[in-house]
Amino acid sequence: MPTRVLIVDDHARFRASARRLLELEGYEVVGEAGDGASGIEMAAALRPDVVLLDVNLPDTTGFDVSDRLRGTGVRVVLTSDRDASEVAPFAEGAGACGFVPKGALSGANLARALA
Amino acid sequence: MTIDDRPASEALHRAVLDSALDCIVTINAEGCIVEWNPAAERTFGWRKEEVVGRRMSDVIVPPHLLDQHRTGFARYLDGGEPRILDRRVEVEAVRRDGRVFPVELTITRIDVAGPVMLTGHIRDITDRKLAEEELRRSRARLVEAGDAARRRLERDLHDGAQQRLIALGLDLQVARSTLSRDPAAAADLLETAIADLGAATDELRELARGIHPAILTERGLGPALGALARRSPIPVKVELIAEERPPAAVEATAYFVVSEALANAARYSQADSVEVAVLRSDEVLVVAVTDDGVGGAAPGQGSGLAGLIDRVAALDGTLVVTSPSGGGTRVEAVIPCG
Repeated sequence: MPTRVLIVDDHARFRASARRLLELEGYEVVGEAGDGASGIEMAAALRPDVVLLDVNLPDTTGFDVSDRLRGTGVRVVLTSDRDASEVAPFAEGAGACGFVPKGALSGANLARALA
Repeated sequence: MTIDDRPASEALHRAVLDSALDCIVTINAEGCIVEWNPAAERTFGWRKEEVVGRRMSDVIVPPHLLDQHRTGFARYLDGGEPRILDRRVEVEAVRRDGRVFPVELTITRIDVAGPVMLTGHIRDITDRKLAEEELRRSRARLVEAGDAARRRLERDLHDGAQQRLIALGLDLQVARSTLSRDPAAAADLLETAIADLGAATDELRELARGIHPAILTERGLGPALGALARRSPIPVKVELIAEERPPAAVEATAYFVVSEALANAARYSQADSVEVAVLRSDEVLVVAVTDDGVGGAAPGQGSGLAGLIDRVAALDGTLVVTSPSGGGTRVEAVIPCG
């Protein structure tokens, strides 16, 4: 069974490229959301294994969305184009299991964050 | 000071008092006014004959300073150390109509035989205080404008070129993986990547120009304004009369005044044409941008033009927007060239 992924990011161009890459590398992208509120709704409806969640969202922050997904059984991996030093130290505190910089997104790095 | 009692000297001293721009108020040991020059009449609104003989504290000291004044005066008369004698202090005074205003005050003791006589030299510094306050606000606005510009730049980079380049990197990964088994798909991805790279380059060039255009540094105001005019969607005529280049700060400010005015004209004016005129004299650079559009523009708080007013003011210049409804818009900056 492929790992089922929901991508939450407000940049459609990134979502499309991330979807293409992850699907090529054996993941199943079950949905895309462009903001935090719809990301939370879609996570509840689609029950993905993992949410690839951008830190910068138009309506809230990825940290906040991650925090609200605690206890739902959905695992969160944060992503951002910001430097890892600004994001990674706060991922665990927000309930996320890891951080992958956008520029370093790959199936292998996502698996490493989930390990 | 020695008071000479010769008639000619008396007349001279009288003339000095009468012509002084600062208020000169003399009080005796009882704190009563004995001298009140014309400047004091103008400043406080009391005529000399109305106040001579009255306690100064009842005339020009505002209520909230009365205790302080009485205590200090009594202490001085008792031989205490004077605290405000022979130096300039800023305090508040009160006019006849009750309005309290800031003054610069110097109190000196007159060297005459007999009881103590003190003279106060009082200057109304209301305008200076207002100017200082406006300067402080203007500086704060400049700092805020700088911060806002940096935030905008970060957001533009984040939402624009940075996202394109990240997506492009992911696409290239996919293209590399699919190259051997699906060359056509890989080629499509590469086409998209090339287009994205061009778009990202264009965005970065625009942002760099917004920070400081290279053509301005290299070639000066004329060519830089020419480039602005060529990019404008409205036909722009540029006339520049300047024998030599103004200082860099003046040149950059002039450029951004024109850039902002042209951007506003393109967005709001519905103009058919715009004229940019730049004239340099020895002392000033005059920049005028005039369009034939609908007018009605107002440089509101936080707008680009409001920020430029502060920027021009920081160079001791002025920026005026004239924009009657239906009568076009004229933005004119006059900037000293130091």
